[in-house]
Amino acid sequence: MFLNLVNWLDDRFGWRAVWEAIFLRKIPHVNWLYTLGSATLFLAILQGITGILLTLYYVPTPDHAYDSVVYISTQLPAGWFIRGLHHWGASAMVVVTVAHLLRVFFYGAYKYPREATWITGVFLLLIVIGFGFTGYLLPWDQKAFWATTVGTRIAGVAPVVGDWLLRIARGGDELSAVTLARFFGTHIWVLPASLATLILVHLYLVIRIGITAVPLRKEE
Amino acid sequence: MSTPNNNQMGRRDFMKVIIAGISGVIGAAIGLPAIAYVVGPALQKGTDEWIRLGSVNKVEVNIPTLFKTVIQKQTGWINAEEEFSAYVLTENGQDFTVMSNICTHLGCRVRWIAEKEGFFCPCHNGVFSKDGSVVSGPPPRSLDRFESKVEDGVLFVKRG
Repeated sequence: MFLNLVNWLDDRFGWRAVWEAIFLRKIPHVNWLYTLGSATLFLAILQGITGILLTLYYVPTPDHAYDSVVYISTQLPAGWFIRGLHHWGASAMVVVTVAHLLRVFFYGAYKYPREATWITGVFLLLIVIGFGFTGYLLPWDQKAFWATTVGTRIAGVAPVVGDWLLRIARGGDELSAVTLARFFGTHIWVLPASLATLILVHLYLVIRIGITAVPLRKEE
Repeated sequence: MSTPNNNQMGRRDFMKVIIAGISGVIGAAIGLPAIAYVVGPALQKGTDEWIRLGSVNKVEVNIPTLFKTVIQKQTGWINAEEEFSAYVLTENGQDFTVMSNICTHLGCRVRWIAEKEGFFCPCHNGVFSKDGSVVSGPPPRSLDRFESKVEDGVLFVKRG
């Protein structure tokens, strides 16, 4: 009965073929370093889930942002846990993404025919860093405020366009309610949408082309 | 995927079980706290402190009198001022009945209209009599009452 239903659905969705393409594809004999990409994906999903949960209570306005964060951490059941996962997951995400990049780099896995996979991966790293930069401001405590003051000032020293970049990032001369709101919007809409899209492309390429074997050391 | 004529679990099935088990543990480790996190505020009860309404001298015998006061309320991360109001009725000047002015139908505010001797709800025409019992309209029960006390001529209520 149940199997009939599954077969009926599969006749229409064809998801077994998708499942087989993704999980039952042939791969070379590889080592644990090849799990770093999956680890990054796992963390991205974890950040997505915990981030969505945080938005249930967080408010991005200067008068209440910090209070809402304190409320999450101290008043809500498991609030410290959800926020803790998001906080530490964010750091882990950067570390694991860079480790994944180093593995690909030192194994030469970015070479033909995987240049496009590499390039989307580099953009994914930039997005991850963007997440870190925008997310850091959101608690709106002293550390967040001054880190973003400094961070946007760094953008400001770029030649020619620096001042313009700084003003775009801050939404004006100074850090303000406008800055907090645009960092929040970027953090929860712009970057997740970009991340999800690029991850799909990245994974499609990984599955379409297949993964590299561990490079052999040739005896000369 | 296990080989036929053999009840032993194959490596592939073993891995499936292990992966499903680990996924389940991770899912529960995040899912259960997430449920608590989402429903947490819904489980919090309001404080049941005594609210100071005002002097009982203001209440005329047999006429429901509206008392309004402002109370501090912590909702989430905001400490807000909230207006609290209730009707007070006395028949002998000594025993006081404090009634909610919230319609028991769908929560609109009722108003005492002296000429018509009744509480009227503007939303769906619910009508309550002087003591709060339903006269007509959709309200399922009479107006809620608060526990009250009088200290030195000042009326206090406890919000349930």
